[in-house]
Amino acid sequence: MRAETLKGHLDGLLLASLEAGPRHGYAIMEALRSGSGGQFDLPTGTVYPALRRLERAGLIEGTWSQEGGRQRRVYELTPAGRRTLTAERGTWQQFSAAVTALLQPAPKPAMP
Amino acid sequence: MTRDPAVEAYLRAAADHMPGPRLARADILAELRSGLLDAIDAKRAAGLPEQAATEAAITEFGNPREVASGFRPHLAMIQARRTALAIAATGPLVGSLWAAAALASHIRLRHAPPWEWPGAPPLSAAAFPAIAATLLILIMSTVIAIATTGTLSRWLPASPRIAAAAAAAAGFTAVAGDLAILALLASQLTSAPGSLDPIPVAAATAASLTRLTLARRAACSCLAIRATLS
Repeated sequence: MRAETLKGHLDGLLLASLEAGPRHGYAIMEALRSGSGGQFDLPTGTVYPALRRLERAGLIEGTWSQEGGRQRRVYELTPAGRRTLTAERGTWQQFSAAVTALLQPAPKPAMP
Repeated sequence: MTRDPAVEAYLRAAADHMPGPRLARADILAELRSGLLDAIDAKRAAGLPEQAATEAAITEFGNPREVASGFRPHLAMIQARRTALAIAATGPLVGSLWAAAALASHIRLRHAPPWEWPGAPPLSAAAFPAIAATLLILIMSTVIAIATTGTLSRWLPASPRIAAAAAAAAGFTAVAGDLAILALLASQLTSAPGSLDPIPVAAATAASLTRLTLARRAACSCLAIRATLS
């Protein structure tokens, strides 16, 4: 799937990937890739700027930590991030239900 | 820790297209390095030999120029925020040093009430409203730059171009304010040399000159980084 298709939804997906607990950048990327069955295969380098943007907005918080002999920047959801995720999820469910209903093949007209 | 030359070359290529404050860039590059090393580990765990794993990880990260360009709005926001916060912090300091210098000159030397300036040069009549207007612009642009680059960016239409422009405006306005007050001082010194208390006036002058230099440099950095945003 192309990066542009995903653009408006990337923030919500990144927040969702942190819902279960803190993760570092590469693990977030892997979660997006495996969670989408390989559909969301963005250049990994594009995830990092998005994480910085979410951090500046106060939705996630990143801290450096030593893990397995390597320094990693680990991100976790803030309370505001959790609220935003809930709101995004609700909006998406309404939107996708409406689109699904509209894209359904129309029933064949009854034969006279 | 031994560093992988291919990873370091990738990071250098990204760094070349990433203007901004030094510490913020170093932090980003350190995160990209740890991400690349994680990616290499993942490829090796999937069975690739070492060199192929590095190549695959670098391909997966994407073109370093494009990755760098993704960070430029973030770096512009950091530059703008730092500039505006520095001005918000130094403004009251420089202002109160000048106020103290003016008061000390009045009370200690002239024994006159503060609103009377015997021997004040004609320039001062125009300078005070100019300083007030400068102050207003300074406060407004500083507030805009700080508000659009912090957590309020969640709700505000945050544009790095606007934030950088506002911070640059705040910086240049601070420079203009310092120049105006130094011009006022110069004219006071020529018209009534004995009317100023030397020590507080020297302290305020030093503060203004330092702030002027730093504000000019920070404002130029804001404009430079703004020019790299597409």
